[in-house]
Amino acid sequence: MCGAIAAFPAIAQANKELRVAAAADLQPVLPTLAERYEKATGVKLVISFGSSGNLATQIINGAPMDLFLGADFVFPEKVVAAGLADGTAPTQYARGTLVLWARKDSPLQPITLDSLTDKRVTAVAIANDLRAPYGQAAVAALKRLKMYDAVKPHLVVAENIAQAAQFVESGNAQLGLISLTAASTPRFQAEGTFVRVPRSAYAPIMQCAVVMKSSNRRAEAHAFLDWLLKPEVQASLVPMGLEPVK
Amino acid sequence: MDLEALWLTLRLAASTTAILLLIALPLAWWIASGRGMARALAQAVVALPLVLPPTVLGFYLLIVMGPLTAPGRLLIHIFGHPLAFSFTGLLIGSVLYSLPFAVQPLVAGFEAVDRGYIEAAAGLGASPARVFFSVVLPMARASLLTSTVLAFTHTVGEFGVVLMLGGNIPGATRTLSISLYDLVQDGNYAAANRTALALVGFAMAALVVIYLLPSVRRSDGRQADVVR
Repeated sequence: MCGAIAAFPAIAQANKELRVAAAADLQPVLPTLAERYEKATGVKLVISFGSSGNLATQIINGAPMDLFLGADFVFPEKVVAAGLADGTAPTQYARGTLVLWARKDSPLQPITLDSLTDKRVTAVAIANDLRAPYGQAAVAALKRLKMYDAVKPHLVVAENIAQAAQFVESGNAQLGLISLTAASTPRFQAEGTFVRVPRSAYAPIMQCAVVMKSSNRRAEAHAFLDWLLKPEVQASLVPMGLEPVK
Repeated sequence: MDLEALWLTLRLAASTTAILLLIALPLAWWIASGRGMARALAQAVVALPLVLPPTVLGFYLLIVMGPLTAPGRLLIHIFGHPLAFSFTGLLIGSVLYSLPFAVQPLVAGFEAVDRGYIEAAAGLGASPARVFFSVVLPMARASLLTSTVLAFTHTVGEFGVVLMLGGNIPGATRTLSISLYDLVQDGNYAAANRTALALVGFAMAALVVIYLLPSVRRSDGRQADVVR
């Protein structure tokens, strides 16, 4: 009986599944990619989304993942530094973009970056700047644009970039500094508009991945990462809000 | 130790408990004083927050309090600003979240009061209000204490609702549970341990003192000798 129960994890893994920890900005992107990959190879991705910092902490504390797709370099690097990665450095797989988004029915329309300091704004949604790379980018950009002190009292901090998008989409925050991946979804395109935050205002969001050393599906994880880096797959990232690796 | 978060949490728990007692006392008395479909439905609705995951409750409150729904627009009209990401919003969330913990012990306590005492008091000319305050409530003292303590401590421990609804604003919605979570997430285990230990220590001390209070240890009707 105990043997049968103990065998369950092995059975689940044997069915060609890859356990992926993915940054929250990939929530609109990865399911589409996973479907294509499964059609092509038969390998199914089992995905857990969260903020990159949250995921890194869980992985370092033993979360059983095969692949970690972070939204920056620093958090995957923490996993490498903890000696848990299969390799000596994270592998970049995409580049992210920060945008300012507002609902179409917002009185602030048409929005510009200056809308951030509009008197009517009471809540600006960002992701947590300690554990979400897009949150860090948002704070860096606000500081670089010399708007941080003015906007700080109105900042509403979400757990991850997906929740930040949800705060502004639900109308509870008038503006949101969210990922282009969220803003590129059909829903967000229908409900609001965005302006890109100037690239010069924040450090490049280099989204990096690591394969876990302890995983018993390392080969499959590397195979997925290689597939992700193929030119045609990289090109398909653009309409979804990510840029290819140069 | 995040003193601002501690103070905010205590304020939230105290305000929630006060509001809950105002709601729970008449509601529980009504539920306990009869039978029927209306009362059964009321009890089911009161028990709903026990069944719903706190994150779900917080999420739907976020939607309902937002400008996209009619109730939300009404609330914004009344308060002048959206309730999400504010202390008031958290207060509403906490009241709903801890409602069953305030109502259920009171219902049990009121139901345990022997009808004989109520009838005797009524027979002696007491109004329903007088009966409630002078006979029923003193006899249900233990469950009143349980209800108060549970509502308070349950709100102190609230996390999921605050996570969905709060926005992590220091001084307004960054409660102790969120502060602790942030400390753990950021790897500051030493500070997290200190905060958690202080919280647990304080709670244990307070609860032990409360449960030792002689007057509430037993309420088996002995105080009601006066009726004989």
